[in-house]
Amino acid sequence: MTDNPNRASGTVGAGGIGAADDVPRDGVPWDGAAGGLVGRGAGGVGDAVAAEWWKVRSVRSTAAVLGTVGAFLLLCVLWSWYVARYWDGLPAARRGTAQAAPAEQPLAVSLPVCAVVLGALTLTSEYSSGMIRASLAAMPRRGVLFMAKGGVAAALMGAVALVATAAGSLAGAAIIGDRPVPTFHGAAADVAVHLLWLGLTTAAITLIAFGLGAVLRSTAATITSGMAVLFVLPALARLLPSPWDERIWSALPGSLANQIAGPPGSSGDHGALSPPVAVTLLVACTAVALGAGAYAFARRDA
Amino acid sequence: MIEVRELTKRYGGTTAVDRLSFAVRPGTVTGFLGPNGAGKTTTMRVLLGLDHATSGEALVNGTRYGSLRRPMREVGALLDAGAVHGGRRAFDHLGWLARSNGIGTRRVAEVLERVGLAGAARRRVGGFSLGMRQRLGIAAALLGDPGVLMFDEPVNGLDPDGVRWIRELMRSLAAEGRTVLISSHLMSEMELTADRLVVIGRGRLIADTSVRELADRFRRGVLVRSPRAADLTAVLAAAGAGVDTMPGGALTVTGLDVAAIGDAAAAHGIPLHEVTPHSASLEEAYMELTAGSAEFGAVTR
Repeated sequence: MTDNPNRASGTVGAGGIGAADDVPRDGVPWDGAAGGLVGRGAGGVGDAVAAEWWKVRSVRSTAAVLGTVGAFLLLCVLWSWYVARYWDGLPAARRGTAQAAPAEQPLAVSLPVCAVVLGALTLTSEYSSGMIRASLAAMPRRGVLFMAKGGVAAALMGAVALVATAAGSLAGAAIIGDRPVPTFHGAAADVAVHLLWLGLTTAAITLIAFGLGAVLRSTAATITSGMAVLFVLPALARLLPSPWDERIWSALPGSLANQIAGPPGSSGDHGALSPPVAVTLLVACTAVALGAGAYAFARRDA
Repeated sequence: MIEVRELTKRYGGTTAVDRLSFAVRPGTVTGFLGPNGAGKTTTMRVLLGLDHATSGEALVNGTRYGSLRRPMREVGALLDAGAVHGGRRAFDHLGWLARSNGIGTRRVAEVLERVGLAGAARRRVGGFSLGMRQRLGIAAALLGDPGVLMFDEPVNGLDPDGVRWIRELMRSLAAEGRTVLISSHLMSEMELTADRLVVIGRGRLIADTSVRELADRFRRGVLVRSPRAADLTAVLAAAGAGVDTMPGGALTVTGLDVAAIGDAAAAHGIPLHEVTPHSASLEEAYMELTAGSAEFGAVTR
């Protein structure tokens, strides 16, 4: 959309928005009907997405989340450097069996947390400040607003995750150089698939937290729930008797990314699910959270 | 044009608005009055599609607000000036609002100028005073150059300069032919700003009238003093007036206006020392209208 200062592209005789304040309209009833016709003809998802994007980039919490991702990217570099030094110090005999987490590991751990925070804040911060009412008054079609908000947050987090993990992975490969550490020498295509799914899972977790936020309407409750799912439930699942410990743990959102496409060269145990099942589960979780959120958002009073 | 028809809104077991009907016409400032908890804000929230009506309808320009694609070009509203994200700069707050309705950023600068916040455009809203937030909220309402404007308690917390500025702004917006609805719980403020009054209490309509009609309705006779009070009483009573003798010898005359009383006295050569039309102040009229409908009143002893 381009900036269009004219009300209704000139169909209202009284003049453009810019001029309106200076044009006296003494006693002339307002031409509300003409405005109404125009107002219903335009507007839509594009405007809502652009407005939500403006909101996201004009608050400091977004910068804080991105800063956190940046900090963990630095950790990726440090980690790679440490692995390189560690490798150099290993006796040749042990190099064949040595295991090291891949370069992007610090990001893989922290991105879900950032996703939960950003996804939750996108909606819950508006409920706590009351600004949700300004948003709904400006964009009264709730389905459109909900999708625009969730879409912008998820797209941002997904894109940030892709860029950051790609940068971390490339930096790792450069630092490790020709040392034959398996997790740093995956085939480019495999690494790309792995990072793509890391990004998609991050976007999905953003949407799940966003949907949860629409139901709970509280920043504290949403972030606490998100952290519980990411960190507390996996630990609790490990306490269950076999084989349920493995099954439940594998089905938790934080475990899915590696079961879909684990880091190439890693021989660790990523879970019990096959990639198609894990993908289905991720999509289902996202759909349920978004569906519940959209239902609550559309039906409840703001 | 705002039309509310048989609107009812319940929250659980509480009825906030009870079969309320009224219309607000263009070119006037309409005061929406009622004690705290009368249902003013609820009515505005339903008008803006924020809350769903339990029954009845609330229409803006003949349409439900929720069906408007670019509502800010038709309706500007200020419900709660504090409902802004404190970390956002004023320009950005208006910027996203404008963007959501396809309004150019040039207009953002214009409304900031109009409300006197041009110098604060780059400041974060969190540091704004209450008065500045009110101005920012009004700027947001004006963004789309709408024909219908709704303000919920716009003068709350403003200093006298701010109050006067709002009053003049409202009057000039109405003079441009716009429909202006302002809620308030202060009759004294509406007396100076509004042409028409919609008074509600406990969610029900109490009066839908003009300021002048309301003043007339609460006219309370004419106070007359005369050295020949007894003679005057007889003359006025013969002319069909109701006459009460007050303590101190003054008369309260109902049913005759000042001119008729003067003519009757002159015809009989009775001197008059005072003839004062008495009416309840609008404040008193309002208190009388809404007596018993305040939701949380103090117990009078």
